[in-house]
Amino acid sequence: MAPIRDKFTIHSKAVVCQDVELKGDITIGPNTVVHPKATIFAIAGPIVIGAGCIIEEAAIIVNRRKEVMRIGDSNLFEIGCRVESPSIGNFNTISTRARVHHTVRISNYCVIGAACLVVPTEDESLEDYTTIYGPAADRRVWSGRGRVQEADLRHKHAEYLREMLPKFNRLRRGDGA
Amino acid sequence: MGPSIQYYCPCLSGFPVQTPPPPHVASSSASFHPLHSLFFCEECDAVRCNRCVSIEVSGYYCPNCLFEVPSASVRAEKNRCARNCFSCPICRTTLSVVASDPPDEGDGRSSSVPLSTVGEPPFFLYCNHCRWDSAEVGITFEKPTGLAAQLQKFEDSAAESLEFERLKEHFEPFLRTSSLSSSSHLPSVASHHMHTSSITAAASAALARDIPGVGKYNPHTRSRAGRDRTVNRDEMPEYKSRVEVGLFSQLGSGGDEGDVEFLTHIETAGEVAKLEQRWGNSWTTSLKTSDLRPLRIPLHSKVSKRCPTCRHILIKPEQKAQSVRYKIKLVAANYLPAMTVALPSPQSGPDASRRVPAKVPAAGDEKNFTLMAGKSYPFHLALTNPLYDPIQVRLSVQRMHVTASTDSTAPEKARRTPFAVSLPTSSFPVAAFAEAWEYDDDEDMFGVEDDELGLEPIGRGSKDRDGRGKVKTVGVLERRANVTVVGGEVVIGKEARGHVKFNMLVSYTYRSDDPLPSEDGAGTPSRVNAKAPEVKTFTFYTVIDLGPITPREESKVEADV
Repeated sequence: MAPIRDKFTIHSKAVVCQDVELKGDITIGPNTVVHPKATIFAIAGPIVIGAGCIIEEAAIIVNRRKEVMRIGDSNLFEIGCRVESPSIGNFNTISTRARVHHTVRISNYCVIGAACLVVPTEDESLEDYTTIYGPAADRRVWSGRGRVQEADLRHKHAEYLREMLPKFNRLRRGDGA
Repeated sequence: MGPSIQYYCPCLSGFPVQTPPPPHVASSSASFHPLHSLFFCEECDAVRCNRCVSIEVSGYYCPNCLFEVPSASVRAEKNRCARNCFSCPICRTTLSVVASDPPDEGDGRSSSVPLSTVGEPPFFLYCNHCRWDSAEVGITFEKPTGLAAQLQKFEDSAAESLEFERLKEHFEPFLRTSSLSSSSHLPSVASHHMHTSSITAAASAALARDIPGVGKYNPHTRSRAGRDRTVNRDEMPEYKSRVEVGLFSQLGSGGDEGDVEFLTHIETAGEVAKLEQRWGNSWTTSLKTSDLRPLRIPLHSKVSKRCPTCRHILIKPEQKAQSVRYKIKLVAANYLPAMTVALPSPQSGPDASRRVPAKVPAAGDEKNFTLMAGKSYPFHLALTNPLYDPIQVRLSVQRMHVTASTDSTAPEKARRTPFAVSLPTSSFPVAAFAEAWEYDDDEDMFGVEDDELGLEPIGRGSKDRDGRGKVKTVGVLERRANVTVVGGEVVIGKEARGHVKFNMLVSYTYRSDDPLPSEDGAGTPSRVNAKAPEVKTFTFYTVIDLGPITPREESKVEADV
């Protein structure tokens, strides 16, 4: 296997702290916030992160596949989660210490609850509004009521972080900058 | 599970004789408790456990909003919070009240338009954890306040609730007259007894009523004692239920055919509500998950506990729900030395120099190593003195009544001498408890001078005895601050099985300043200033479980590994 070649493309409006571990071909979209101590590993294929995502401390995003791992817009990766899904849509929340295996594709408005393990042996795709919660990783489908308010909250959250994080952290710029 | 120690409460023995049951008897576990769950009555000078104390409720509160509910309204509100506290019917998280979304622009990205903070009706309950919302079951509110009152309407209109109200109404005049009549007829009976008798009479009358489909049992043939009760019963009009019993299933509250019909058509197990989701309900509800409703959060109570013999309060919480403190707290941990038992790691042990913990075939548990039959093991007992006075402690192992433990299934030989325990026989001191700020410098942390002990010279820290040639196993091993570590040794018989579990008698002497100060709210005996200190001895039993014995056969297997 060829050594991983680093290539970081960070949008000028994204906030990526200096103290993050990036490896491989990574593209980070506008208004996305990556906290310090987050890890993004593009081991095999590249990782493309969309706009307005929040990646918190100690979150780990790994792409083990050859294909591009696409992460959509306004996703929230909470502290200590580990995500390897090959594709993630928009407005998803991966809660604290949740773990999502590379066999799962996540569509839109999904919520993986705190400490939930989503490790099916066969490939599957979570439908829109799927909620996984509780110690047994139970599933249900959210009605979607309140989603506009949640999106608004996510937006404000990212906006606040974009304002505050640069005051206390050095930022990393993309290769082009 | 590692080695453990529990303390004995003599409440089940029935006598002031404080001999605990043999530890290998399964029922003995009921008499032993962890130290932190025990109380200590200063008046009786005795240990009390949760099993023997008498409990009285000192207040009710909602665990979510911490509102203290006056006991008068607890019943009216049906033991649940009557404010805005609800638990999710799916996952039991507390629900929050949220407003509806503004009209959607289609793509869900209204980020350019800041939402107003007030929100717009209809409001509904929303679970942040599993994303259940009350609009799924058709519950929405026009205002975000006073939700419980709005929901209680649903509850109160339930068929069972109405039926229950009707029953209460029906029996009320009867209860009143019967309590009146019995108080006039039987003045000698104690009042609370009379009260219960009238209730039982009412209940038996209710039970005797004609139930469709059940053969009529003639109550007159019953030989009931007490004439007046029959008289009372005759005064009762026949109770007519609101609905026929068979009709309940049609009301969506569960029944035979409806459930069978539902169960034959389910596709996933999630359609059926789990038992945990249903049994918090006041009334029977339907089996369907989709029918579950938000529940008002059940109230909690604060209780105070009294000594069963002298009625003195042992523990009494502060009235306020926000407070986690106690007005009175006489816990055993403030009186009895706290003990922990440990098996020192095998590396430092005398006979287990090369055993690697990972290679030990631990029988299901995660202990460092197992106890092998036919070997001897040292163990450590650390005693911590909670008192402001130094104590002298003497330990002795209760003799095992082997004959009493004869287990017919076990081989006779194995039962004979399972193990022998040796402990220091002389008494040893444990220094007084002192607050951290009372130690002037580091040197003081080691407190008492070792020479004064009259025992063999003892190393101060644990470093002194680890890894040196001479390792003492039985006796005082370490003393620092108010902790004394003593070593014991257990010799396990060749054919031993089961657990190394034995009762140990602990007696300690301390200077007492009788009478004990009563204003001592914190529960710790205050510093002794008495001129002529009296020496007192307190004795209690403990049970020590060092862990299971690995039988001989397995130990051979392990030797090969």
